[in-house]
Order: sequence, then structure tokens, then C-alpha cells
Amino acid sequence: MDNATGARLDDRIERSALGDQLAFEQIVTQHQGMVFSMACHFLRDRSLAEELAQEVFLSLHQNLHSIKSPEHLTFWLRKVTSHRCIDQSRRQKLRPTVSLEDVAEPSASASENDLFLSEMLRRVVDTLPEKARMVVILRYQEDLEPTEIARVLDMPLNTVKSHLRRSLSMLRDKLSRTLGEVTL
Amino acid sequence: MSRLDDELRNAFKRQQPPADFTARVLERVPRQPEPRPSLWQRLAALVEPPKMRWVAIGVTAALLIAIGAAQYSRLAPKAVDDSGKLSQALPTPEEKKAAVNPGEIDVVITHPNAVVVPKKHTLSLKRHQLAAARVEKAPEVKSEAEAAKDKLMLALSIASSTLNDAQKAVHDDGTKP
Repeated sequence: MDNATGARLDDRIERSALGDQLAFEQIVTQHQGMVFSMACHFLRDRSLAEELAQEVFLSLHQNLHSIKSPEHLTFWLRKVTSHRCIDQSRRQKLRPTVSLEDVAEPSASASENDLFLSEMLRRVVDTLPEKARMVVILRYQEDLEPTEIARVLDMPLNTVKSHLRRSLSMLRDKLSRTLGEVTL
Repeated sequence: MSRLDDELRNAFKRQQPPADFTARVLERVPRQPEPRPSLWQRLAALVEPPKMRWVAIGVTAALLIAIGAAQYSRLAPKAVDDSGKLSQALPTPEEKKAAVNPGEIDVVITHPNAVVVPKKHTLSLKRHQLAAARVEKAPEVKSEAEAAKDKLMLALSIASSTLNDAQKAVHDDGTKP
């Protein structure tokens, strides 16, 4: 983010906090993809994800006075979205009851259909516990380093690393068995 | 960077929400309740000028109640002690029976030479001792007891001198021819 963009965002945050609806609209437009995607990947339900993302932005509107910078705004949105997703999942027991072993095996090879592989990966990640799932989403959707993930999720760095290591190991095992000779 | 990392990045690409997402958020904004002030904001609001007067009144009232309660708790045990001392000073029913009543000692002086005999002489002596003890215990009856004592001593001295006179008179009558 260059200085001009940062200054413009700072200005938008300030104007939004003072009640400028247009400035707030620009903030929503800029960050809606991040918030909605995190919720959508985590909950695996577009309507629920949209509802949750709207609530996150409404909460932001009420807390604009506490946002200090554009970086803080992004951090705040990631943190609130993560925690709301985990709470929502725990409250509604949205986690699928199927175990990892019950995930359907693909009927076509990965080389034939990348979309199929992506869906396979999402379904396997969906079987992880809530926090481990969010660690994977923040790592691969938002491309965050483990230290940043630890800050967002309020958990020790070693726990984040451990979640990542175990999740990747499990994914590798599952996909190796499924895809056979394909090296991942 | 392994292929798995690439596949995961591909699988978890950002997705865009529906086109009217922003409009729907903005539509809900006015319907949102006012944000609840934080604890610090509420504390800061207490010291704002219009509310400060009520806070001062409240603090003063609380201080007065606290001081009053402290004074009451300090005085209450003393009152109990005083009542305990008072109960000790009061005579028991047996003491009351045996207590001296100065009126019971009738000293009838009908004549300067008359014989004055106190009623129940031995008993009155005991009562006198009890009365003396009571004088020590009860200051309010001390003066009354002192007067009774003086009266008794006067009566005894008169009786003694009268007896001497009578004895002398009898002796004189016996020696006359």
C-alpha cells in the first residue's frame, strides 16, 4: 500500500467515523471480498456467510471510532470475522458430522479436473476443528504468516504452527491415498 | 512451495459477495441500535458538569451515612456496658429484704432522759453495714445514707449517756437511807 492509498484510506476511516455514508460504502466495497470469502470458506454456506459478513460490517460501523489506521482496519475485520465464524459454527453445530474417512473419493484424477481437486481440498479442510480450519483459511486465503495468524486468533504461535503442520499432513495423507501417484 | 500449497491457495481464493451486498449493509446501518458506551466512556460521563452535581450529592450522602453508622456502632456497645454496670449496682431481691431502711430505726425521744432503744439492734447493725456497702455502690443514695448514719450515731450516743444517767440515778437511790 503506497502512501497516497494509505492516506486516502485514513481519510475514509475518519470521514466514516464522522458519519459520512459514502466513505463507509467505499470501505465496505473494498473489504467485502475478504470478509465474505473467509465466512464462505469457513461456513460453506453462501447465505449464512453473507449474513455474517453484513453483521461484521455493521459492527465495524459502530466501532469506527476505535479504528486507528488502514492496517488496523484490516486486522480488525479479520479478527472479528474469524471469531464470529467460529462462534457461529459452534452455536449451530455447522460442522459436518461426517468424518475425514467419509469424504467422498474423487472419481476423476486431479490432472483432469482442477476444480474437482479444489472442492476435494475444501471438503477435507471442512472436517478440521474450528480453529484449525480458520488457521488454514487465513494461511491460504489471506496468505498470512503464522505470527499474523496467531495475533488474529489470539493463540500462541506454536499452536498455529502445530495446527498447520497437522492439517497439511492430514491433507497430504488423504490426497495421496486418493490421487495415488500424484506428488503433493 | 509444494504443489499442495498451490492447490490450497487455488481452493481458497477470495470470492465476491452478491452485487447488492454493500447496498444491503448500508440499508441496515440506520436500523442499528446506538452503540453501547464502553465502561471508560460511562465513567467519563459521570464527571461531566451536569452530572457532577448529582455525583457530589450522592458522595456526600454516602459519607454522612457512613459517619452516622460508625458513630452508632461506637456508642451502642457503651450503652450495653452501662446497662450491665447498672444491673450490677442494683440490689438483688435478697439484698432488698435485708437492706437498711432508716425509717425502721425508730428513735423515740420523748424526754431528754428517756431511754432510746433502737428496734432490732443487731439486725440494724447488719443493715447499717449493708447500707454502707450500698452507699459505695450507688452514689445517688450516698448522701441519704450518710444522713441516716449520723442520725444513728447521734441516737446511740444519746442512748449511752441516758443509760449512764439512769444507772447513776438508781445507784444514788439505793444508797439513800
